[in-house]
Amino acid sequence: MILTIAKRDLLERWRDGRLIWAGGVVLLLLLTALGVGYGHRQEARAEQRAAQTSDYADWLKQPRRHPHDAAHQGMHAFKPDAVLSILDPGINPYIGSTIWLQAHRQSEVMFRPAQDATGLQRFGDLSVGWILQVLGPLLVIVLGFNAFAGEREQGILRQTLSLGVPAPSLLWGKALAIGFGLCALMLPAAVLSAGAVLVGAEAGTVADAGWRFALLAAGYFLYLAAFVFVTLGVSAASSTSRVAITVLLAVWIVNVVIAPRVMSEFSRRWYPTPTRLEFNSALSADLKRTSDQTWQTNFGTTERWGRDVPLSKWGLALRLDDHASYAVYDRNFGRLWDTWQRQQALQEWSGALLPLLSMRAFSMGAAGTDFAHHRDFTTAAERHRRLIQDAVSDDLVKHADTLGGQHFAYQSGPELWQSVPAFAYHAPSPQWALAQSWRSLLCLSIALGISLTFSWLSVARQRAL
Amino acid sequence: MLEAIGLTKLYGQHTALDRLDLKVNPGEIFCLLGANGAGKTTTINLFLNFIAPSAGTARINGVDVARDPLGTKQDVAYIPEQVSLYGTLSGVENLRYFSALALNRHLPRPRLLELLEQVGLDTHAIDKPVSAYSKGMRQKVWIAVALAKEVKALLLDEPTSGLDPHAANEFSGLLTRASQSGVAVLTTTHDLFHAKHTGTRIGIMKRGRLVESLDSAQISDVDLQKLYLAHMGA
Amino acid sequence: MIKNSQAIRLRMVMANELRLLLTDRCFWIVSLLFMLLIGYALSNGMRQAAHRTEAQAAIVKDDAARRAQQALKLQRIVDGSERPGPFDNPADPTHMGGGYGAHHAIMPAAPLAPIALGQDDLFPSQFKVTYNSKVSFISDNDIENPWHLLSGHFDLAFVVVYLLPFLIFALSYNLLSGERESGTLRLLLSQPLALATLLCGKIATRAGALLAMALLVPVMTLLLARPETAAGGAAAALCWAATVGAYALFWFALVLAVNALGKSSSTNAMILIVAWVVLVLVVPSLLNLAVTAAVPAPSRAELATRTRVVTAEAMARNNKLLSTDYEHVGKPGVLLPEQGKLRIAGRLRGMYKIEREVDDLMQPELDRFDLQQARRQALVSRFSVLSPAAVASEGMSALAGTGQRRHAWFMAQVANYHAQWKRFFFPRVDADRAIGIDDFGRIPKFVWQEERAQEVRRQGWLAVMQLLAPSALLLLFAAWRLRRYSVV
Repeated sequence: MILTIAKRDLLERWRDGRLIWAGGVVLLLLLTALGVGYGHRQEARAEQRAAQTSDYADWLKQPRRHPHDAAHQGMHAFKPDAVLSILDPGINPYIGSTIWLQAHRQSEVMFRPAQDATGLQRFGDLSVGWILQVLGPLLVIVLGFNAFAGEREQGILRQTLSLGVPAPSLLWGKALAIGFGLCALMLPAAVLSAGAVLVGAEAGTVADAGWRFALLAAGYFLYLAAFVFVTLGVSAASSTSRVAITVLLAVWIVNVVIAPRVMSEFSRRWYPTPTRLEFNSALSADLKRTSDQTWQTNFGTTERWGRDVPLSKWGLALRLDDHASYAVYDRNFGRLWDTWQRQQALQEWSGALLPLLSMRAFSMGAAGTDFAHHRDFTTAAERHRRLIQDAVSDDLVKHADTLGGQHFAYQSGPELWQSVPAFAYHAPSPQWALAQSWRSLLCLSIALGISLTFSWLSVARQRAL
Repeated sequence: MLEAIGLTKLYGQHTALDRLDLKVNPGEIFCLLGANGAGKTTTINLFLNFIAPSAGTARINGVDVARDPLGTKQDVAYIPEQVSLYGTLSGVENLRYFSALALNRHLPRPRLLELLEQVGLDTHAIDKPVSAYSKGMRQKVWIAVALAKEVKALLLDEPTSGLDPHAANEFSGLLTRASQSGVAVLTTTHDLFHAKHTGTRIGIMKRGRLVESLDSAQISDVDLQKLYLAHMGA
Repeated sequence: MIKNSQAIRLRMVMANELRLLLTDRCFWIVSLLFMLLIGYALSNGMRQAAHRTEAQAAIVKDDAARRAQQALKLQRIVDGSERPGPFDNPADPTHMGGGYGAHHAIMPAAPLAPIALGQDDLFPSQFKVTYNSKVSFISDNDIENPWHLLSGHFDLAFVVVYLLPFLIFALSYNLLSGERESGTLRLLLSQPLALATLLCGKIATRAGALLAMALLVPVMTLLLARPETAAGGAAAALCWAATVGAYALFWFALVLAVNALGKSSSTNAMILIVAWVVLVLVVPSLLNLAVTAAVPAPSRAELATRTRVVTAEAMARNNKLLSTDYEHVGKPGVLLPEQGKLRIAGRLRGMYKIEREVDDLMQPELDRFDLQQARRQALVSRFSVLSPAAVASEGMSALAGTGQRRHAWFMAQVANYHAQWKRFFFPRVDADRAIGIDDFGRIPKFVWQEERAQEVRRQGWLAVMQLLAPSALLLLFAAWRLRRYSVV
């Protein structure tokens, strides 16, 4: 019986043109976004590969020079674009993907691609993820707003119920109809996306890409399913189609247009981000405290690089200073990034009632373009920087500190450069991504649960007339 | 007063009105009889310039309605089959608004109350929202608007349909009084009885054409019925 | 003819429409929601703008405090009561010209900033200017969670651009179709009332109500909360009001055009929703894409690589200087200025030379970036007429001083300041001249010069024109279709 209801509903949507027109437009947009995303990524990947290779080659080719200067020149770490960024670029446009690993300071990313954008950046990037998150629910609403209300207005619902059809069957049948319709529309885009993802994945990561794609698909399934049931629930509870569509549009606007911005401001108020000045001041103060302690303990003075510490001890001083600062950087940046993650977590929790917020987070997480992934990359880059730093310091202690009253006169060469490996970064596994995204997945499930319950109750209680 | 000269309306291949020639003089009540789709409402709509004629002219007070749509509406009042008013406003508020639009000035409340009394609207209902009114009550408000206009011609589209016999009778009385004061009335109706006893002239329309036009005094009820059915049957 | 006068009837229609609106529960709910949203948006905007201003004030204060401390320290060094450190010596031009003595170039918020926070979080409004190459300080960003950069601000401009159209739809999607479906249209038009008069009356009433909420309330609130807006921002506020009015007019014109098609109320609603999605969501991002495809942003990765290569080459060229050991260890007297002269350490001189060379070599690259960016923005300005939402958004940001153009103007001033700074310090480094107490007063200060008000106004009115053009087209279309509008 459910299948019968589903088939009839689907046929009606086909015949009245909704499926073709509304669905067709969405499909067209999806394919455009996919093409654009794929093109961008190919470009970015080629560029980045070239840059990373030449970067390391230049490091190895350095002339003989003081190791400290080599560390100052440093290396660049380029964050590889996750293959699923084709589908959801996430925060990548708003956070850079290039880190300069240089001596003595933890680097932050160098620039944000969004800064190169035009004034239209805030209207959003057309990506598959954005279309599914923003237009997907609207499509569901258009397909289903009058599923119950329309039949009630025409008197058909009364007749159907008089036949003894149980209300839950109606619900499942209509839900299935919308579901089938969506699947039919999404199928071409899904197949092409899967193809693009598998083809575009780096060698050895194809399986990972496949798993991430599956995660992404599961997330969107939960999200759109939640909207299907909300739509049907509201349709059942509304006296007329007009009331149904008004309420549903209001729900869509609140969820998709208003909520992201309001929750963003709210989470920022709840967990404030420091200003650049505040952060720098705190960092400097912390560094000073730590380094004073280190210098006092080891050299009996807090005057760094002053007259009391001979040049022959500068290599050692450098190593001690750097090692002390590692903890400071970890503390301060850790605190900052924890604040950001707490802000995001707050928004994800609100996703139980405002599904877009958790869908957005989950989508980015599965695609590997969220802050957790970025933090992983930044941490790895920092580890590599410390590797370079330590290699340099060790070399200085071994060779420069033995030159008596000289330090900078010492020059090192290829033996040292080659001892530093290239920066090789591997994106975390899908299991890790899933573990990081547990909150948003949970909230999506809760949202689906709430919408199911709501629709169940609405349909059970609805009036035949 | 009301004149149709070769008035024609085509919708693609379908002829809704076919060369209608009609004249309603002051003081006359002309009743157009006919089945659904005969062209009665089309005729009314053409006089009101709600639709444009394919050929011919409709004139009110000698003026072509297509040439001076706003001016001709000064001289005519229209009462549709279904009177719709603004549900959240009261009877007197609706009357005030529509009469103001008609006359280009607001009538004072005493005058509005006088008009509503004239049409027989229950005094208790005057200030209640129109959403609670019956069909007859709404029609009365609209008749009050028509009276306020003090026009020389009336266009009525099935005014007694859906009214109980008492209300229909009241309405006929109003029409008669109006025609006695020199108003030309063109009304469409299904109601043979109403046509015979209120109308001065009767026209029978069939498939867009005026197939019969006669004085109501010169035919009996029974003969009228026979004539009408004969036209409908053929 | 006096009897046919439509002017008086227009007033009657407006009065009646107002009355009908006031008795409509939907109108009250919608208005209340709108006022709440405006209130929240405005308060949020004011808070953020104040926050930003405070942060900038803190920077200025910090800069001033540090400079004062440095002056005192120099005094003590000259007196002999303090010995300078090797990297924080106020007498050393390489320190004072570098990070130690640097001050910030700041772009203050404009009077109308709370209205459209724009992309002020994406584009930095302060830079710490040193004599190092521009490429080293230009990438300095304020700290912000990228998630928030992605989401954007909830400010008044957002409410107007995204949500005002929905309000217009809610109040007028069935402007004509509703009257026709309920049967009152025939009754109205059976009076000497022209259809145009009826429509004007209906739209004027609704527009009046909405614009009173969208314009009067924010302007009055702003004036009360920030009186300085009246002084500095009166012309901009007027232009902003015109922008909002023109934007609202566009959507009303669209509603009118859709109603003129003669379809049912529910069909009208569908068409309008689709139009909103297309014009507000899809077209701007497609435009963004198109502009990026036509004039791609130059590669930052390439810039980073080029910078690195240039720096490496400069370092190689100056290797000898870089290999010079510091002399102050064991010989602290080296750090003291003597008769206006100071021995600048070889390494520091080497680093200075490297920065100078990198700056000269990278300048053309940075210029290329700026040129490309200007070209992209020009393309956007030209084609954004396709999306009134884009025009309105950009227009409001420009008036609020958070737009691209003002930022580009700021960057030009920063470049000038950078040049001034270098002109002050370079000769001193080259000639080993120490910084003296009286030099402190001569160190270049950044003085912000506001955009020419005339230019801002001109751009503002241009945006209004760009909004009025499509409205005019829609109104013409509506007028043409309404000729054939079927009343029954």
